Amino acid sequence: MKILVVEDDAEAAQAMVRGLAEAGHVASHAIDGAYGLLEAQKGDYDVYVVDRMMPRLDGIGMVETLRKDGDQTPVLFLSAMGEVEDRVMGLKAGGDDYLVKPYAFAELIARVEALSRRRETGGVQTVLKVGDLEMNLIARTVHRGTSEIDLQPREFQLLEFLMRHAGQSVTRTMLLEKVWEYHFDPQTNVIDVHISRLRSKIDKGFDKAMLQTVRGAGYRLEA
Amino acid sequence: MKGRENSFLMRLPSLFRRTPFRLTLLFLALFAAAASAILAYVYVASASEAQARAEADVRGELQTLRGVYDSRGVDALNVALIDRTLTRSAYVYQLIGKDGTRGTGSLNVSPFDAAPGAEEWTTFTITDTDPDGRVIRPQVRAVQVRLAGGEGLIVGESLGDTEAYLGRLTQALWMAMGMVLLLGLGGGLLISRNLERSMGRLNAVVGSVQDGDLKARVAVRGSGDELDELGQGLNGMLDRLETSMASIRHAGDAIAHDLRSPLTRMRARLEVALIDAESGRIDGVDALQVALDEADTLLKTFNTVLAIARLQAAAGRVPDAAVFDAADLAADMAELYEPAAEDKGLDFSAEIERGLMIEGARPFLAQALANVIDNAIKYTPVGGAVMLRARRRSSGEIEFSVTDTGPGVPEEDRGRVIERFVRLDNSRTEAGSGLGLSLVGAVMEAHMGRIQLDEGPGAYGGSGPGLRVALVLPAAAQ
Repeated sequence: MKILVVEDDAEAAQAMVRGLAEAGHVASHAIDGAYGLLEAQKGDYDVYVVDRMMPRLDGIGMVETLRKDGDQTPVLFLSAMGEVEDRVMGLKAGGDDYLVKPYAFAELIARVEALSRRRETGGVQTVLKVGDLEMNLIARTVHRGTSEIDLQPREFQLLEFLMRHAGQSVTRTMLLEKVWEYHFDPQTNVIDVHISRLRSKIDKGFDKAMLQTVRGAGYRLEA
Repeated sequence: MKGRENSFLMRLPSLFRRTPFRLTLLFLALFAAAASAILAYVYVASASEAQARAEADVRGELQTLRGVYDSRGVDALNVALIDRTLTRSAYVYQLIGKDGTRGTGSLNVSPFDAAPGAEEWTTFTITDTDPDGRVIRPQVRAVQVRLAGGEGLIVGESLGDTEAYLGRLTQALWMAMGMVLLLGLGGGLLISRNLERSMGRLNAVVGSVQDGDLKARVAVRGSGDELDELGQGLNGMLDRLETSMASIRHAGDAIAHDLRSPLTRMRARLEVALIDAESGRIDGVDALQVALDEADTLLKTFNTVLAIARLQAAAGRVPDAAVFDAADLAADMAELYEPAAEDKGLDFSAEIERGLMIEGARPFLAQALANVIDNAIKYTPVGGAVMLRARRRSSGEIEFSVTDTGPGVPEEDRGRVIERFVRLDNSRTEAGSGLGLSLVGAVMEAHMGRIQLDEGPGAYGGSGPGLRVALVLPAAAQ
C-alpha cells in the first residue's frame, strides 16, 4: 500500500514512515499541507495520513482542496485536539477517520489499513466470505462450512466489521467506534468479552481458530 | 522649589490629556461663548431701546417748545428754555440765533457740524455733575431743527440712567461668567481627579495582572455606578481566569504527578530487561511488550487528565451538545457491559424508562456512564449484582443510577473519591488511574448535572453494603 504522511514534526514523520514500512507499506513524507498537495497530485496513493495543525497550509485546508479537486483518496487525520467538535470539523472537511495524539502505533497501522480496505470494497456486497466463513448480509445469516451460526444482532455487526477487514488488525477502540459508534476509552475488558463470545460461536468445534488476538494491537480475523 | 515647579509643570500637561478635564474645558468654552452672545444681545437690545425712548422724549419736548415759539415768539421760547434748564436736568437745550450766535441754553459748543437746517439727530457726551457733585459724562441723544423764524434749536436727553443700568448689567454678567468659569474649572478638576483616581485603581489592577499577579482585584465601592460595574466585571473576569489557570495548572501538576510513577516503573523494567537480555536470560521482546503496555497506560492517563481539564475549562458549555434520548445511551451501555459483568460472574440487570430526553455531548456522557458501570463491575465480588437504571425523577430531572453489591464507599470518603487521583486503600489492588470518577464529576459539572454517591442495597452474599452512584442531569427543554 502507498501512503502519504503529511506531518510537520519530522521526527514523528520518520517514525511513522519507518513503522509503516515495517508493516509492509510504502510511505512518503511531506513537511506541510502545501507540499502535501504537490505530492498528492504526483503520486498514486492509497491513503493520506494528515496532521491537522501545520504551518502554511494546515490539514483541513489541504484536504478541502483535495476533495474540491475530486481526489477521493481516504484521509486519516492526526490531531492533538481530541474534542468532539474538532473531530466533527475534521470529518466535515473530508476526512474519513480521526486519530488523536498521542496514539499507539498499532492503532495508526490498523486504521490506515482499514481505510484502504474500505476503498477496495466500495461496491455493494451481499455476501462476505473469509475462508470457510460466509455471511449473507440480506438474509442476515452466518455459516461456517456447513453449520449455521446463530448470532445476536451486535455479534453480527461485530463479525461483519471483522470480515470486511479480514487479515488486518483491528483495535478495541476501532471496534467500539465502528461497531458501537461510541468514541471513548473503555477501561476494562468489555470489548474482549464480546470478542470471546463471538469467538466461542465461530471457532468452537473447528480445527482452525479464525479470530485471533494480536498482541499489543487488538484482533484479526484470518482465513 | 524648583522641583515643585517642575512637578507642577509635569502634572499640568498630563491633566490636559485627561478626558474628563478636556470635556470640562470644552463645556466651559461653549458656556463662555453662549454667555457672550446673551450679553451682547441684551446690551444691544437695551441700548437701542434706551435710545428710542430718549428720542420719543426729545420729540415730545421739541413739540412743546415749537408750540411755545410758534404761538408766542422767540422771547417766550427763551423764557421757557431758561425755566426748563433750571428744572429739567435730564434735558439739554440750546437756542441758536439767526446769525449763528449762541443763545439761551446749556451747551457751550454745538455738537452739530452744520448750521441748523432740516431735522438732524446725533449722540454726544457732555460733562456734568451728579447731585453729590461728582463729575459724570453721560451720553446725550439730541436733535437740531431750524425754527420758522430762522433760529436753530437743539433739544437732547441724557442717556445717563440707561447707561448706568447697562454698565451694571454688563458687570454682573461678566462676574457671573467669571464665577461659572472658575467653578466649572474647579469642578472639572475635581471630577477629573476623582475619575482619574477610579480609573487609576482599574489601571493599577490591569497593570498588576499584566505583570502576572492574577490575584489583583478592584476594590468595589458599592456605589453602583458604571465604574463600579466595570470593576465588578473586571473582577469577575479575573476570577474566571484564575479558576481556569488554576485548573490548568492543577491538571499540569496532576499529569506530572501521575506520570512520574508509571514512567519510573517503565524505566526500571526497561533497565531490568536490558540486563536480562544482555545476559541472555530472557527474550528482550517480552520486556519491550511490558514497557509498551506501561506506555499505553501512560497515554490513557494523560488523555483522561486532559479531558477533565478541558471539561472544567468549558464550565457549563459542553462542546457539540445535542438533544437525545438518555434511554438509548443507557441501553447501549447495558448491552456493551453486560457480557463483561456476566463474564466475571455478576448478575447484571438494566431497568430503563423510555423517552428521557437530555441535552449534552453524547460521547462524554457515554464515557461517564461507562466509567461508573466499569467501577461497579471492577469492585463487586464474584456472585454479586450490578444494576443499571435510567429514569425520570419526580423533580423532572433525568437520573442514571448504577447500584452494586460491592464493599461500597464509607460516607466520609464519598466526596473525596471524585477528586483527581484519589484511590481508597481497599482499591489499590485493582488496576486504575484514580481518574474514572473525577472524569465523571467533570462531565456532570459541564452538563449542569451532579454525581451522588449513596449506600447500596446492604449486605449481599458476604459483601456489602454496596454502592449506588447516581448521575443526575437536567431534562432537555421541551
